[in-house]
Amino acid sequence: MASAAAPPAAPNSLSLPPSQFARLQPHAYLLAHLSPPPAINQPSIRANGRAASQFRVTSANAGSLTHTNGSAVVRLGDTTAVCGVRAEILHTDDIASWSVSQSTNANKRRRLADSEKPTDESDDAEDEEDRAHVEDLNLLVPNISLSTGCAPGFIPSAPPSALAQSLSHQILSLLHTTRMVRAEDLRIWYQPPNLGPEELERHNEEEQMDVDAGQGLEEESKPAEIKAFWVLYIDIMLISLAGNPFDAAWAATLAALRDTKLPQAWWDIDNETIFCSDKVTESRKLSLRGLPIASSFCVFEADAAAGWRAVVIPDAEEQKALEKKGSQQKWILADPDGYEEGLSQERVCIVVDKEENGKGKTVVVKMEKHGGWTVDSDDLRQLVDVSASRWEEMKRILDQC
Amino acid sequence: MNDRRRVNGPPGGTRPPVYASLLQSGTGAGDRAQRQRQPTELRKIFLKTGLIPSASGSSYLEFEPSASLAAARANPKSLIPPSSALKLACTVHGPKPLPRSAAFSPNLVLTTHVKFAPFAARKRKGHVRDSSERDLGVHLETALRGAIIAERWPKSGLDITITILEAEDDRWWGDAPDSHDASWGMMNVLAGCISAASAAIADAHIDCLDLVSGGVAALVSDDSTESPSTAPKLMLDSDPAEHRSIVSACVVAYMPARDEITELWLKGDSSKASLAEGDERSGHEALIDGAVNAARGAHTVLAEAVRESLQKALGQS
Repeated sequence: MASAAAPPAAPNSLSLPPSQFARLQPHAYLLAHLSPPPAINQPSIRANGRAASQFRVTSANAGSLTHTNGSAVVRLGDTTAVCGVRAEILHTDDIASWSVSQSTNANKRRRLADSEKPTDESDDAEDEEDRAHVEDLNLLVPNISLSTGCAPGFIPSAPPSALAQSLSHQILSLLHTTRMVRAEDLRIWYQPPNLGPEELERHNEEEQMDVDAGQGLEEESKPAEIKAFWVLYIDIMLISLAGNPFDAAWAATLAALRDTKLPQAWWDIDNETIFCSDKVTESRKLSLRGLPIASSFCVFEADAAAGWRAVVIPDAEEQKALEKKGSQQKWILADPDGYEEGLSQERVCIVVDKEENGKGKTVVVKMEKHGGWTVDSDDLRQLVDVSASRWEEMKRILDQC
Repeated sequence: MNDRRRVNGPPGGTRPPVYASLLQSGTGAGDRAQRQRQPTELRKIFLKTGLIPSASGSSYLEFEPSASLAAARANPKSLIPPSSALKLACTVHGPKPLPRSAAFSPNLVLTTHVKFAPFAARKRKGHVRDSSERDLGVHLETALRGAIIAERWPKSGLDITITILEAEDDRWWGDAPDSHDASWGMMNVLAGCISAASAAIADAHIDCLDLVSGGVAALVSDDSTESPSTAPKLMLDSDPAEHRSIVSACVVAYMPARDEITELWLKGDSSKASLAEGDERSGHEALIDGAVNAARGAHTVLAEAVRESLQKALGQS
């Protein structure tokens, strides 16, 4: 970095090291890197030595924490996120409106069973129930903690900052919209035993019923009922923050959920509670829907006021057109570090997934852009392509961990 | 009490899973974790500095997993881990100017924060610091205050934050809590915090009298028969999950160069101890000496980590 960096603005006689210049004139420093003068034959490169669409070196490691059902550490350059997933049990007795909502659901299911609709419609209904269970019962509880001393700005004892709250909420909404965790994985079913003979006996005592009617009842077994749900507490500690916390936190969440094992659980009628088996062989992993990967970008503008000037002073439009011919005015930087984040207003976050485990077409799961107006639809299309290639890279990393 | 700044779980609350194998065999299933080390043998410590570049100093500390945990990891059978190994990250921010509102201070103002991750222990921890975490913070502060030369930074503050990713157990998981029980795991955590914080302070190039390191020793009675003749034995760097009952434990923060103890925390009844023949020391003296020896052991690791950090700093400049 040091050798590449002598910016043209600083004459050689003034012995200001590049690191000092970066602090005093951050905008000019980054601009000098991105648009080197044509005289010195250098490619446009970011101050951290990366190309504009290059992500930082990423590594992931799963399953190293003892007291979690699933855990992962993801390092994105100097940003480190640790995610631990803990599963606890929510009894349906503890859900206030359970009996009410359940009866309507049961009706719905019965209606479906009666009409024998084609499969796609029943799939829809199942999805709807999935969504209702996971979202309405709060079965996924992600929380990001930034008060770990990860960066100087955060006071450790303070309540979660606005950034932490916003990140937690973004993770939660992404978990919900991608419907990555299936509600079926989180349900604990109970099949009531068939008490046919006993009932029959009782019937016989009370009144002499004919045996045929009793056996008819016996054959129609009782429907299985949901006795409890697993609740996944997803806690993400950002140990080190050097820009782009969302990508790191989401990658850590994803890796931890892929690592999560839930024990076999059943309803014990004698104790009226849920018991779990501690055998690893009986536990099962979550079957996640898809693999959405987040990629964040920031936009660095050579002259941030240029766009505004065009509105306020109409004459400036021509000048702007002239400038545009000469030199590039904006750079879209992938995976910004802390220094670049401080210099840019406009952010783009794209979450993509690929169908059929990477062989199918790319699906944009989420697209978020805020803070400016320089990124147009063509740029966004390019960014989706960049995100798609990032998906391949991240899939490789996550498969290895 | 709903925390509106965080994502809350179901309003009715959730229950941790109950394993059926625990109920079937009364006091607990599976094999009790056994200490494989000699009484004076310490666990290996992994300590690395400078992993968090945005902080002025940082360190990461990890204890070697016990033999039972290593075996369980290599060949997983049960979902219940036999014991756990300490993992923590420490950051130092500062010295930085005190806020305008703060009163004048001729010395460096030290603040310490210790926080367990929610998934650090067997029981899920809350997001807000509880009293035990605050207590650890106070102990850590006293341990470090004796080592830092605070007069060199008037009107400035130093923030030390420790995040514990995995804590030590207080007892073997199969044991029911009983009268012998105290939070023994906390003492191991404190010893780790002291060593890690000391490395992070050195990494931040803050002047200290010496590297202060933490050590734990305990009097344990491992016999299942409660006969009065067998007095508890002295163990260095005791892992509470590996012992049937801990009678007394002691943690010290120790500076070898000055032979000085900056923090001493002794819990339990140390009146009875079976020491070597001809050893005239009383129980608590032996305990403190043991803890100091453990701290000396940790100091060698600490010195090595600080040397590494310094070499890296010299290489950069």
